[in-house]
Amino acid sequence: MTQRSAILAALAFLMPALVSVFLLRLWPAAVAVNTSLIPPGGGGYSLENFRYIFTDPVFLNSLKVTIVFLLIVNPLQIAISLALALLMNTMVPLIGFWRTVILLPVAIPQSVSAVVWGVALRPDGLVNAVLVALGMEPQRFLTSSDQALASIILIVSWIGVGYWMTFILAGLQDIPKSLYEAVRIDGANRWQQFRFVTLPQLRRPLTFVLVANTVANFLIFAPVQILTAGGPEGSTDLIMNTVYTQAFIISDPESAAASTVVLVGVVLLIVILQFRLMRAEDSNE
Amino acid sequence: MMNDKMSRRTLGAALLVGAGMMTTGTAVFAQDVTINFLSAQRDDIMQPMIKGFEAANPGIKVVHQSVPFNDLNAATESRIGQGDTSIDVLHADTPRIPAFASQGYLLNLDDRRDVIDAAVPNAVDLEQVSYDGSLYAYPMWTSTQLMYFNRDVLEKAGLEMPSGDPEQRLTWEALLDMARTAKDSGIKYGLTFQQVDRYYQLQFLFESNGAGSGLTGDEMLTPTITNDGWIETAKWYGDLYESGLAPRGVTPEQTDDLFINGEVAFMIAGPWAIARYENAADLNYGVAPVPYFEGGKPVTPTGSWSVAINPNSEKKDAARAFAEYISLDPEGAYLSIKNNPNILVNAEAFKNYSADMDGLTDKIGSAIDIISYETKNTAVGRPRSRGFVTFETIMNRTFSDLRNGTDAETALKGAERQLDRALGRIQ
Repeated sequence: MTQRSAILAALAFLMPALVSVFLLRLWPAAVAVNTSLIPPGGGGYSLENFRYIFTDPVFLNSLKVTIVFLLIVNPLQIAISLALALLMNTMVPLIGFWRTVILLPVAIPQSVSAVVWGVALRPDGLVNAVLVALGMEPQRFLTSSDQALASIILIVSWIGVGYWMTFILAGLQDIPKSLYEAVRIDGANRWQQFRFVTLPQLRRPLTFVLVANTVANFLIFAPVQILTAGGPEGSTDLIMNTVYTQAFIISDPESAAASTVVLVGVVLLIVILQFRLMRAEDSNE
Repeated sequence: MMNDKMSRRTLGAALLVGAGMMTTGTAVFAQDVTINFLSAQRDDIMQPMIKGFEAANPGIKVVHQSVPFNDLNAATESRIGQGDTSIDVLHADTPRIPAFASQGYLLNLDDRRDVIDAAVPNAVDLEQVSYDGSLYAYPMWTSTQLMYFNRDVLEKAGLEMPSGDPEQRLTWEALLDMARTAKDSGIKYGLTFQQVDRYYQLQFLFESNGAGSGLTGDEMLTPTITNDGWIETAKWYGDLYESGLAPRGVTPEQTDDLFINGEVAFMIAGPWAIARYENAADLNYGVAPVPYFEGGKPVTPTGSWSVAINPNSEKKDAARAFAEYISLDPEGAYLSIKNNPNILVNAEAFKNYSADMDGLTDKIGSAIDIISYETKNTAVGRPRSRGFVTFETIMNRTFSDLRNGTDAETALKGAERQLDRALGRIQ
């Protein structure tokens, strides 16, 4: 087989994937960029839509809420997933059962989880009944602008941590036992074993979890749409909810396209930054 | 590129149809039409009228596509808006007709005005399907609101049952006193709205207080929601929840259960709620007209679903036959409410509806008399504006904030700023 025919064969095998990438990813992205540059009512390319969204208090608020949400939810979910993975990697009794219990919420659709949590978090709901029984004050949860975002974080983390844990757990089980034996001979205590063996060895799975989790959390939509519609007072108006509202409810596809372009830009920037940081640490070691 | 593709597809379809007609003849072609009907109703609500139509029109098959209410707008926007020919008939929410009609999503029905006029004599119902002087949908159903009360709860609290006579309707002031007494007697809440935080069900409060619908101007694109009447009524709404008289954090889907379980004394809800309440064996309830504000006037919500035709449909004759069967034909119209007791606007079919409802009078009071009175005398529709969906979306969120305790003036001023910007994009 000549090199030329080998390339052709490879291309033929790759064609379904390439066509899908073009049709399902690149083409819609190009359409979105194009739409974002045309003001409503037509009339040539301009930055009018971007000027509109960047002077729109609703859009600016949703950017702010999304950033706050991400700054809390990502470290929180990763820390809990890591802790759970470490726990599940030890020889506790009934380990299979515990792993199943932690992973179970992943198997429930986000929308169903949201509805169930919504009922539990009602001011006259189950969670408050438990709080009162324990002698605590009932809370307002999703009906208060101070607690709604925290409630959403609780719900998405309940779903998320089990999922991310499985990746970290797989990484943990890949670490050669001999490394631990070696540092133990050098007199390393448990913390030092974690700090100098476990963490560096987990860099690859952790990088994946960090990046994938960040992207997933950027795109959180169902719980917000179902439980708060962005309220109270815009306190849970994550960016996907804003884009959805622009595109499909108030029929402003141009703003929605501009917001999507901004969203993709921000996500790309953060993901590149994360890859850089993880690699920089790599070269330090 | 999109249009190019569309026209090629349309051309292809036309050629196929042409070829079909040449080889098999038009008669056979007419025997085998399938039309698609898009709605936000459950399939079991739509099936009786579809079956009735198919029986009366052998050769035309109707496929019902159901999407959730919140997605119907998106589906219409993304499919009909892009020139999709695969939807022939669609269920249209009446306040959305101006926006859809102005964007060319609905077929103009002015050539059928005579038959529509004859079947649906009430002018309010025709206005609900009009935009810019033209008809764009066949009116099907309309709506009103009733005040339901739990007889057992009221009796236990030592309260008198409210009168069913519209001339003797309660004021909100009197009703809240009763609701407080009922709550003090040991139930969870005094009253609730079935569709909490939704403009459809709350507009009448502001109208009753003389504050207006919230939209003004020639094209109804100017928000007017910060006058004294709006602020006063919004504060009244927020106070219901602040005081614990009405429930916070409950969604519209959960309110019926509160009433069925005897956890709330008074419930403002549509006549369709009767279907659910009748299935609750232990519920001892009655109906009365909705209250009004002292010094204001009685007003009730109205409007519902109508049926429209996609202007891109390639089977317009079959589509028209189906749309007219379920709206103008008394038999089809009556089947349309078999599993969902909405109020019919078709005068002939309304008589059947009325007779059915009369059977309940001994148990719950004369719902049908209240319904007839309200739809004729106190009904005020939602504003006929191309910007209605934007307006409604922002208002629903504002009502939700009010319910959660945001100061009325702050909430309404914020909403008015948002509306000014968003509606400005439409002009």
